[in-house]
Amino acid sequence: MMKEKKLHKQHKKLSNGIAYALLIVMSIVWLFPFVCLVLQSFRSYKPEVEFGGMVAYLLPKHFSLDSYKFLFSGESNFLRWYGNTLIIAAFVSIGQTFFVLCTSYALSRMRFKMRKALMNLWLVLGMFPGFLTMICLYFLLKQVGLTQAGAVPGLILISVASSGMGYYVCKGYFDTIPKSLDEAARIDGASRAKIFIGMIVPLSKPIIIYTALVAFMAPWCDYVFASYVAFGYEKGYNVAVALQRWVTTNDYQGYFTRFCAGGVLVAVPVTALFMALQKYYVEGVTGGAVKG
Amino acid sequence: MKKKLLAMLLSAAMVLSLAACGGGDDKKNDTPSDNNTQQGADNNTPADDNQGGGDDTTPADDGQASAPADIDYGSGVITIWVAEAAVEVTQKLADEFFAANPAMAGYTVDIQPTGEGDAAGNMITDVEGGADIFGFAQDQLGRLVLAGALTPITGDYASFVESENAAGSVAGAKMGDQIYAFPMTADNGYFLYYDKSVVTDPSSLDKILEDCAAAGKSFYMEINSGWYQTAFFFGAGCELTYESDSSGALISSNITYASENGLKALKAIIALANHSAFVNGSSLSSATNPGAIVDGTWDSGAAKDLFGDNYACAKLPTYTVDGEEIQLGGFCGFKLLGVKPQTEQGKMLVCMALAQYLTNADAQLTRFTELGWGPCNITAQADSAVQADEALSALGAQFAYMIPQGQYPDAYWQDATSLGDDVIAGTYNNMSDEELMKVLEDFQALQQSYAAQ
Amino acid sequence: MEKTKNSLGKRIKNVLMAPVRDCKEIGQTFAHGDWKTKVSFLIMGFGPLMRGQILRGIAFLASEIAFIWYMVAFGAKYLKDIGTLGTVQGGFDENYSYTYGDNSFFILLFGVLSLFLIVLFIYMWRLNVRVNMNEEKRLKEGRALATVKQDFRSLLDENFDKTLLALPVTGVFLFILLPIVFMVCVAFTNYDATHQSPTHLFTWVGLENFRNIFSMGTAGFGKTFVTVLNWTLVWAFFATFLTYFLGMAVAILINKKGIKFKKMWRTILVMTIAIPQFVSLLYVSKMFAVDGLINSYLMKWGWINSPLPFWTKASWARPTILLINLWIGTPYVMLITTGLLMNIPEELYESAKIDGASPFQTFRKITLPYMLFVTGPYLLTQFTGNLNNFNVIFLLSQGKPQSLELAGGAGYTDLLVTWLYKMTVNDTNYKMAAVIGIMVFVVVAVVSVTVYNILPSVRDEEGFQ
Repeated sequence: MMKEKKLHKQHKKLSNGIAYALLIVMSIVWLFPFVCLVLQSFRSYKPEVEFGGMVAYLLPKHFSLDSYKFLFSGESNFLRWYGNTLIIAAFVSIGQTFFVLCTSYALSRMRFKMRKALMNLWLVLGMFPGFLTMICLYFLLKQVGLTQAGAVPGLILISVASSGMGYYVCKGYFDTIPKSLDEAARIDGASRAKIFIGMIVPLSKPIIIYTALVAFMAPWCDYVFASYVAFGYEKGYNVAVALQRWVTTNDYQGYFTRFCAGGVLVAVPVTALFMALQKYYVEGVTGGAVKG
Repeated sequence: MKKKLLAMLLSAAMVLSLAACGGGDDKKNDTPSDNNTQQGADNNTPADDNQGGGDDTTPADDGQASAPADIDYGSGVITIWVAEAAVEVTQKLADEFFAANPAMAGYTVDIQPTGEGDAAGNMITDVEGGADIFGFAQDQLGRLVLAGALTPITGDYASFVESENAAGSVAGAKMGDQIYAFPMTADNGYFLYYDKSVVTDPSSLDKILEDCAAAGKSFYMEINSGWYQTAFFFGAGCELTYESDSSGALISSNITYASENGLKALKAIIALANHSAFVNGSSLSSATNPGAIVDGTWDSGAAKDLFGDNYACAKLPTYTVDGEEIQLGGFCGFKLLGVKPQTEQGKMLVCMALAQYLTNADAQLTRFTELGWGPCNITAQADSAVQADEALSALGAQFAYMIPQGQYPDAYWQDATSLGDDVIAGTYNNMSDEELMKVLEDFQALQQSYAAQ
Repeated sequence: MEKTKNSLGKRIKNVLMAPVRDCKEIGQTFAHGDWKTKVSFLIMGFGPLMRGQILRGIAFLASEIAFIWYMVAFGAKYLKDIGTLGTVQGGFDENYSYTYGDNSFFILLFGVLSLFLIVLFIYMWRLNVRVNMNEEKRLKEGRALATVKQDFRSLLDENFDKTLLALPVTGVFLFILLPIVFMVCVAFTNYDATHQSPTHLFTWVGLENFRNIFSMGTAGFGKTFVTVLNWTLVWAFFATFLTYFLGMAVAILINKKGIKFKKMWRTILVMTIAIPQFVSLLYVSKMFAVDGLINSYLMKWGWINSPLPFWTKASWARPTILLINLWIGTPYVMLITTGLLMNIPEELYESAKIDGASPFQTFRKITLPYMLFVTGPYLLTQFTGNLNNFNVIFLLSQGKPQSLELAGGAGYTDLLVTWLYKMTVNDTNYKMAAVIGIMVFVVVAVVSVTVYNILPSVRDEEGFQ
């Protein structure tokens, strides 16, 4: 008996050891690109120190903050691009949350004539690839002067105006709030609007934070449509469009370390925010992904 | 008044034939301006003014300098797209231009860094929203003309282009018989940058590959690009040219890829792709381990940074197929400056004058000094500093083996990339000569089909 | 079966009969209505205004005025050309300034918009008739009409849905529905690089573009389309299920009893979600280049003699992309499944253990069926999402390698959506891009409908995302 227990214990130790080994290997694989990125960002681009393009070695020969200095020095419009993205992200985050909450409440709590038809139409529309309509959206925005110099408000408008279609997760959450709460409040004479603002919204903190977080993160990655809307006006770029150009076009030779530094500066705040609100994110994706 | 001025300025067939309808009326209505018109026409003959030569042509001497001051050009903003590196130089030149032409100073310029690669695509997406003046690489000319993004250059401007610039660059700016842009540089060709400490004999491809392999370095060339690939085919004596009419449409082709020479070239490309020291690519800043690279002048700065004291350049090497030694050839191309069609006539005048100013001998020399861009202006080419430039003289040496790049359909570049990708992926390894010939025949038929449309 | 058939027939009949009933109602309203109602047929909202229903009256009147103003000032000139998409080509005049001709793009776009607005207007007009009818009926029955205040209040109460949805629906209409209808129309035109607005005209060509995508000859897109479509489906399948199983495995591993620092392990993996993909994927793509970090180090250590063709050979590029996608996709699955795994009743595992089942058997018999059932909708979402996974493909390989076997600039790792992107941005071949866009829609719709009919847990209105 004792022996068996000991064997069992040994077995357990071994299997835990394997598990730890696997986890460590995975962690290395998962973190490796980010470590590389950070290391590269500390390489100088100045020819007298080191070459700013791609190299085949990992550790910079000289530790240097040159790439970061370049970004903050005003030699490029990096700070402007960063600011643009921050503005877009903030407004999109607020606007989308508002739109999504409104849509979700209406579709979850109210029953009206076109409800099913509307949901089906949106479902069908969602099956078309987004890039298809880029050219059309560009000219629609141009009609109202929201391209090039007006790219920032233009991008906010597009992201916010069409966000009603992303109601699924939030509506799913609203569906789980018992309807009896609404009914009790209505018997007390509360209007729909009052129930929505006074009762449902306060109860939905996790899903509001999730919606806002996802909406806030998206603009940092938008380089396709943003470059389509802002082309030919450098000050209207967002950070993704601008940094992408540093590695993909021929005009920017030796900008690789600066791209890495820019990437780190983008990744740090977004990652920090994400980590801080991770709990809500998990709740959101899980809630949205699962139906029993 | 302006109408008259233009009729004189742009005395091309097209304009004339159109003006014939309304020209008579204009004359009667605008008689008082005849004097001015005459003046304007005289003063706007830059070809004459610039005959003096490159170095002594100060901005004040230039055609537009004394443009009639009483002409109302209007006011507004002229958007200019040039590569990031050229923004400052262009701003400086534009400032000089407006200082010399106070009558046009109602306009300000807004210079945006939009590289030659992006400019054409952006212009085509939205012509009306694009730049008024923009730089682009010559291979985009056809697309731009088709999309109506370029104003035909006629009259005195056309004679300026023809008389001031090297013949090849003028041909490069033409569709059919019509000039569509101002030639800006003549350095859109490629040659060899190498590391002196690695490569001992840059004249032979085999030697270069050997040296690179021995030093653990790589030889870079973008063989999956329609532009670099021609080095092999043209070098071997193949032809690939198209004739276009002035609307930008291709009318006929002359292609001899499916030949003995083409076979030699293809075999050489396959052999190169399979060499252990070869890496596909032509961008110095993403090349991690170059011992030598086939690249253009725009990378000369990066090359100097990278190779340091071992920086060297030379014309392209020779390659060896079946014991025969063949010199790599290729395209020599040009960078052009185009003017978008304008709805306002005053702005059109200013844009044309400015574009001309930005491409005259002085401007080209300025760009050479500041950026190392090789001039296509005959006077500027003769400048001693230009003659002494290492990268440009390597390019110059290579030019002897290159053909001026004409007009090509968009699909050619795609297909050439596909051909190159196939070679690199090893699709043609171990194929017999007959099978390779079949590949070339298909490729040739495909290219011919674009001109038949 | 019989019953559903019956009800379906009834529904079709209902739909078909609706206009007839409508016409009858409109006719009766006009015939029996008072003069206020009759005037309302021409001047919308007249009746409600006269009856003191200011808010409604003004809303109807304003919509009529706005519609007429739009059509006269703007819509009509586009709408009249929608049959030809314009006839006047732009050109230089004798003064050498350029005059833009008809703009086919705007004719089509605003023509479509005008058609939508006409439908909307007819609906408003119909509503106007009905409101008049109801008001008259109410008055006849001696009941009071709603006051302005009551109308306002109802917008915050029983009609709150209209208030809430007004902006989102308008937004979706303008920036999603209208552009999609426009692009679907483009698929039936010759809008491409040689017919580029505003300097050139494009026009209707019927089904020619669809014939092109299905034509298997050398010049046609047929063969390329099939290749790209196949890879799109293969990619979506593997990308979904590989990440699914690895993610679940990792979640089980971290959930394992006796493993410490659970939160830390999860946080490390989740970094890939947080860091913008254009940074991480662009970097990773360079890492795998022929002369990139991976190859350089492998060669330095002597593990390989020549660089591995990660991006240059189709047979390498495809698995490489799937592999890197694991890096991106696994953390999502891990996050989702971590909580779900804990929901499985412990007793099930205990009894399995007593029965002597191996860990793999318990996984196959208990964990997997439960997880598949619960995450069915997620899998479907992931699958359709992966069909359109632009970022991973475009940032990693741009669809390369290309081949002479494939037309239209497509490469062996191109998905339909990246091919569509290339056609739009590089080639301005909008007509073919539109056709491919429609094909993407068909593929997604077919997959969704099929899965919907197979998976029970998806059959729920929230299922599709």
